[in-house]
Amino acid sequence: MRAKSFLFILACFIFAGTVYAGETPFSEFTSYQKAVDVQQIGLNDPVWDTVIPVRHPLQRQFLVLPKPAEVGVKEVFFQSVHDGKYIAFRLTWKDSTRNDSINVVNFSDAAALEFPVRRDPLPKYFMGEEGKPVHVIYWKAWRSKDQDQGFQTVKTAYPNMTSDIYTFDYSVKGKGTDKTQQEKEIFIPGRAANNPLSFPHKEIVEELSAEGPGTLTSKNIENTRGVAEWKNGTWTVLFVRPLAVNDASSVQFRIGEKMPLAIAVWEGGHLEVGGRKAVSPSWAEVKVE
Amino acid sequence: MRKVYNWQIGRNASYIYPENRPKKQWAIIFDLNKCISCQTCSLACKTTWTSGKGQEYMFWNNVESKPYGGYPIGWDLGILSKLGPQEWKGNKYTGKTLFEAADKDEKILYHLPEDADWAHPNLGEDEASGMINQGDWIATYPHRIWMFYLPRTCAHCTYPACLSACPRKAIYKREEDGIVLIDQSRCRGYRECVRACPYKKSMFNVETRVSEKCIGCYPKIEKGEMTQCVTNCIGKIRINGFVSTPDNARKDNPMDYLIHYKKIALPYYPQFGLEPNLYYIPPIHVAPSFLEQMFGPKVEKAMGTYINARNDHELQALLVLIGSTEKILHTFKVDEEYAYGYDEQGKEVVKVPITEPKIIRDYHDAKLNAYRQNTP
Ligand code: SF4
Ligand code: SF4
Repeated sequence: MRAKSFLFILACFIFAGTVYAGETPFSEFTSYQKAVDVQQIGLNDPVWDTVIPVRHPLQRQFLVLPKPAEVGVKEVFFQSVHDGKYIAFRLTWKDSTRNDSINVVNFSDAAALEFPVRRDPLPKYFMGEEGKPVHVIYWKAWRSKDQDQGFQTVKTAYPNMTSDIYTFDYSVKGKGTDKTQQEKEIFIPGRAANNPLSFPHKEIVEELSAEGPGTLTSKNIENTRGVAEWKNGTWTVLFVRPLAVNDASSVQFRIGEKMPLAIAVWEGGHLEVGGRKAVSPSWAEVKVE
Repeated sequence: MRKVYNWQIGRNASYIYPENRPKKQWAIIFDLNKCISCQTCSLACKTTWTSGKGQEYMFWNNVESKPYGGYPIGWDLGILSKLGPQEWKGNKYTGKTLFEAADKDEKILYHLPEDADWAHPNLGEDEASGMINQGDWIATYPHRIWMFYLPRTCAHCTYPACLSACPRKAIYKREEDGIVLIDQSRCRGYRECVRACPYKKSMFNVETRVSEKCIGCYPKIEKGEMTQCVTNCIGKIRINGFVSTPDNARKDNPMDYLIHYKKIALPYYPQFGLEPNLYYIPPIHVAPSFLEQMFGPKVEKAMGTYINARNDHELQALLVLIGSTEKILHTFKVDEEYAYGYDEQGKEVVKVPITEPKIIRDYHDAKLNAYRQNTP
């Protein structure tokens, strides 16, 4: 028993070492070059049967308060292919509850891939650090449902709710009424403040950058296509992006090179949100074959 | 955790950030003996600030019936039962604050209500503390069976839980008036503030997907006016202004006078450790044991001072100033007959007779040749 706990403590130190030094990757993945049109690839494309999913253990976020006592998702399976132009990442994990609807007190299932914007010097793997940004590619189940069924509103959240009057809900008529729409939105705080969360988006994946915990900022670009599906207690999420994109603060992939990456998963049914999440124990690495 | 001084519990207490008091601190005093639960305050707030989609369930100002009512349901029991026994020694709180009772992985001890808990803003309305027996009549203070109305807004706490819980620093406390605001462009809807605020005054908007909270009517405050919930109060139970720390209290500031000099207005649940800036004149008919867990050990003395107000000319004068003007009173003055209130520049904004002149009119109005009747 004692020897076991000693080993555990030792293992923790080794973990911590890799986290801060950021040199030895925890897991190594490969993005296999395949003769398929990756740009058009689907979630259940036959190509995925030719790539063995690599198990990647996740642990509770342990660096910044609040830390979840325990996380709902403890492992995720990783696959990746590319065709020289586009690269696709496919994540699969078990989650018995599908949390994709918005309520006042519920949280969305979600997953994110994090990459350093520049590998040298490598930023801290947990959200990057000042002057050493990371690029986060973030899928949220809420946005999948938005895409399938239309942007969720209070009416979809609470279909039986009634409200007599919305005092400032002016009608917006016809074309050329942008100004009226704007005037209307003055009274919708998130939209008036231009918060990207408050508007519908084309993609289900949000792209962000961060330079340390608490600095996550939406990049207002949509270079990554996402596809997600929940079936039989399993989420499968696909992220597809060009290897290289025209944005200096985005990650760029090159054939033959290795790129550090970290994965995070949120189990909404477990009230996970923000820093309450399951994360890679340190930087992993993906080799673009 | 840092150590900060919390005068409401008479000791240093833990907080996430160092002590950083604003130049002035927004506060409301409520005379709970006078609230009639007309909800005019709730509606004044609602029509001004939260009439939009996604805000339907939001009552930045709510009024609940105690002991059983609550919005959201059980907000108080939820956190009190988690906190466990809350001991005071004299005027010093010797138990743990919510920051001190936090689990090692958390910043604060919290209670997260369920979705449906927010759906019934006035459940338990008018429910009394127990069954009324046949033949019961009210003979003494406190009443054997009681209930009272508790109006609440955000307390724009000196040590806000919402602010300290936000991992993005999207919540800030204004230096000029102590009002606590959520930056609507920085918020990412994590709802850490919703979890952390023990008073449950930070709320999530499902339409915009970010959190919102009471803004202390800052546009009115900036104009020297009291908040909507205060100025629309039918019962004239409220006064809004700026409270000082005990060291800097001015006797001619109406807020300081009631809070620090008369010690008649007490903060609610000071033991949570947030230094909330809602102060209540306790209802004198309610069981002191209940009031003590809510307002701390000074409550019985405050009730005595209130009962004795009829012999205290100055206190009476102040009580009549409550609800007499829309302007924030920075100072007040009393003479034999009148109470006077002044704005920040020292200009008189209100003058109220301490005792309304009594006029008795004849049963018969000779001019109109009509009989006057009392309509009960
Ligand atoms: S308006 Fe005044 S009297 Fe009416 S419920 Fe609100 S606080 Fe009470
Ligand atoms: S009452 Fe709650 S929301 Fe208001 S300042 Fe205090 S902690 Fe924040």
